Amino acid sequence: MRRIGFVVNPIAGMGGRVGLKGTDGVVEQALAAGAEPVAGDRARAFAEAFLRFSWEDPALDVDWLAGGDRMGEIPLRTAGIPGSRIDVVHKPLPTTTAGDTVHAVENTIARGADLILFCGGDGTARDVASAVQDRVPILGIPAGVKMHSGLFAVSPSAAARLLAAFMRSELRIGAAEILDLDEDAYRKGEWRVRLFATAKTLVEPHLVSAGKLMVEELSEESVRAELTEHFSELFSENPDTLFLLGPGSTLQGIASSLGIEKTLLGVDAVLAGKTLAADVNEAKILELLNRRPKAKLVVSPIGAQGFILGRGNLQVSPAVLRRIGVGNVIVVATPGKLAATPVLRVDTGDPELDQAFVRREYLFVIVGYRTSKLHPIQG
Amino acid sequence: MVSRDPTSWMRTEYENLVAQSLDWKLRVLQGPSAPRSQVDGKTVIMLCSNNYLNLSNHPKVKRAAREAIKTHGAGSGSVRPIAGNMDLHEELERRIARFKRREAALFFMSGFAGNAGLIPQLAGEGDAVLTDELNHGSIIDGVRLMKAQRIIYRHSDMGDLERALKEADGWAKKILVISDGVFSMDGDIAPVDQIANLSEAFGAMVFIDDAHGEGVLGEGGRGVASHFHVEEKIQVELGTFSKALGVVGGYVAGSNDLRNYALNKSRTWLLSGSHPPAVAAACTAAIDVLETEPRHVKKLWSNTKYFKKQLVSLGFDIGRSATPITPVMLGDSAIAKRFSNRLFEEGVFALPIVFPMVAKDRARIRNIVNAGLKRADLDDALRAYEKIGKELKVIP
Repeated sequence: MRRIGFVVNPIAGMGGRVGLKGTDGVVEQALAAGAEPVAGDRARAFAEAFLRFSWEDPALDVDWLAGGDRMGEIPLRTAGIPGSRIDVVHKPLPTTTAGDTVHAVENTIARGADLILFCGGDGTARDVASAVQDRVPILGIPAGVKMHSGLFAVSPSAAARLLAAFMRSELRIGAAEILDLDEDAYRKGEWRVRLFATAKTLVEPHLVSAGKLMVEELSEESVRAELTEHFSELFSENPDTLFLLGPGSTLQGIASSLGIEKTLLGVDAVLAGKTLAADVNEAKILELLNRRPKAKLVVSPIGAQGFILGRGNLQVSPAVLRRIGVGNVIVVATPGKLAATPVLRVDTGDPELDQAFVRREYLFVIVGYRTSKLHPIQG
Repeated sequence: MVSRDPTSWMRTEYENLVAQSLDWKLRVLQGPSAPRSQVDGKTVIMLCSNNYLNLSNHPKVKRAAREAIKTHGAGSGSVRPIAGNMDLHEELERRIARFKRREAALFFMSGFAGNAGLIPQLAGEGDAVLTDELNHGSIIDGVRLMKAQRIIYRHSDMGDLERALKEADGWAKKILVISDGVFSMDGDIAPVDQIANLSEAFGAMVFIDDAHGEGVLGEGGRGVASHFHVEEKIQVELGTFSKALGVVGGYVAGSNDLRNYALNKSRTWLLSGSHPPAVAAACTAAIDVLETEPRHVKKLWSNTKYFKKQLVSLGFDIGRSATPITPVMLGDSAIAKRFSNRLFEEGVFALPIVFPMVAKDRARIRNIVNAGLKRADLDDALRAYEKIGKELKVIP
């Protein structure tokens, strides 16, 4: 039997129908414009799908640690899950806020949740992740307006399948990025997707052929060790090249194995294997490039859509890219992440620059020590 | 001092494998690997050995092994570079070269030893190696020992190979392209003609592992290069005696330069004791049989065609195989396992291939057709397939 946290953001997804990118801070405006809640239906659809799986497999036995009322209990009950299996961990007031999400998540962890399922969008993902602090993996049932983050299942029933696979030990725990549109900026007419955090989530194990009829799982540690060796060599062979390391858990993992200080969410400048400047903005990057024109940019695909530029790393502006040169962009990804990323994308904000990438159709992606794969790229 | 348990980790690791059903459960053959074999106390039709031509039971091959023991003893006494290089080994290598229509050949302990020992010596710092994503694990291990930049191209995707060649052309000193000839999971044949032509255009060296094509494809079973008539564009052909040729041991065939270089550089060759005389002589006899008795390869293909045709007419999906490797696609892993267990009960030994070896919805039974099977054996196997297929509602 597993303890699974279940937290629904009842107002998630209401902004979308009425043309708002998200419901963060504007729920009254959304309601006034006729928005109807969708998260409850999505949450119930998930629970119904999971219940069907559990009829066929007695191993799928769950104690639900759920938010009260519309925050989890009602969708579970209407799906047919008996009340005896639902442990309500937080009683919300009729009007819920981000604080309710955080409180409910805290309580599920306190009661020993192995995994937290949440139903909402990017904003909910941020709230959940900030409360979880990497203590347990989280998985999103999509119900929001924006879903750029890499920890959403594609549908409520897909989330049910993932939960079942997790309970059968078929999945592993890996990192995913949480991206969100900066909603204040958006309502002022600016489209700016930022990388807010990374969180643990469920990932398919990456299996490699180890011989005839044999496979072995390529562990995150061995992948990281290989990538670390690759970059260690690259840095030492190019001591006078400025390396700009983009955000995300892959690059942070490599950097920390090399003993290089690297911010998770920022761009950091490295020279000869040492941090020259951490979390640099566009102006600082351009200043560094004035002094050291020989530079390479290292990026990793971010979020659910595989963006290597323009999501979460806006510091790398078109001006920066032109100075570094499109040919000096190094893409790195773990084999598992690459397998889950059908195409790489760029959105630099400069159509001409995007075209310079898209024209190449394929980019080399470093997937291991001295090992690369060609992967398609689109605008 | 830290207190350590030197061995308990092994049991933990093993138990993890068992929990995920990834451990091997060994079956025991009580007697020869034959079209009808005694396995775990039961007589079964063998549909999962690699003994494609049943040469392991050929009287000439068995006699050669017995004779060699009488004349040369049970073992060779040393590694080949020191004192273990017998006339039987040299004779075998001349016969391999003649059969493959090459200048020279070098006999290895196994196909694995050939890949793991030679591949790392064929490219180094500043070079590029381009390798199919579904290449056999022994190639993967060989490639991992290289200092060259490795580029993994999509399975049999010639567009991807060409892009990788163009890219490598910009900076690589030498380029090496490696592919299996026949991929053992699906039985599909690599487009070796296109691989050869593309590589030629870039001056790249081509290495083909033909473990599953040897004795099966090409003129008289000469393999995939012969099948596509591109022998002169393939610089290294690796083969094995453990499959269609019915014995054991690997080899590489190519130019004199290749042989001279390989025997001086391959650590698996330099540092392994040489094959016992019986093995070398039996391998030579197996080549003899292939050269003088073309009926075995013909029978393999007529059996393959019959078996595949009957499976299709029963309503089974047999995938995209172009060789005697015949998958029966069942989709769900649990069904494939049950199907295989039921087949064994009905006297047919064929292996289920399930997730995670293949994608979750691509579970299958893999059959390997054998030249030694009689029409009646195949009909018995097909009857079992029909019965269980209906029982498990796989076919109408």
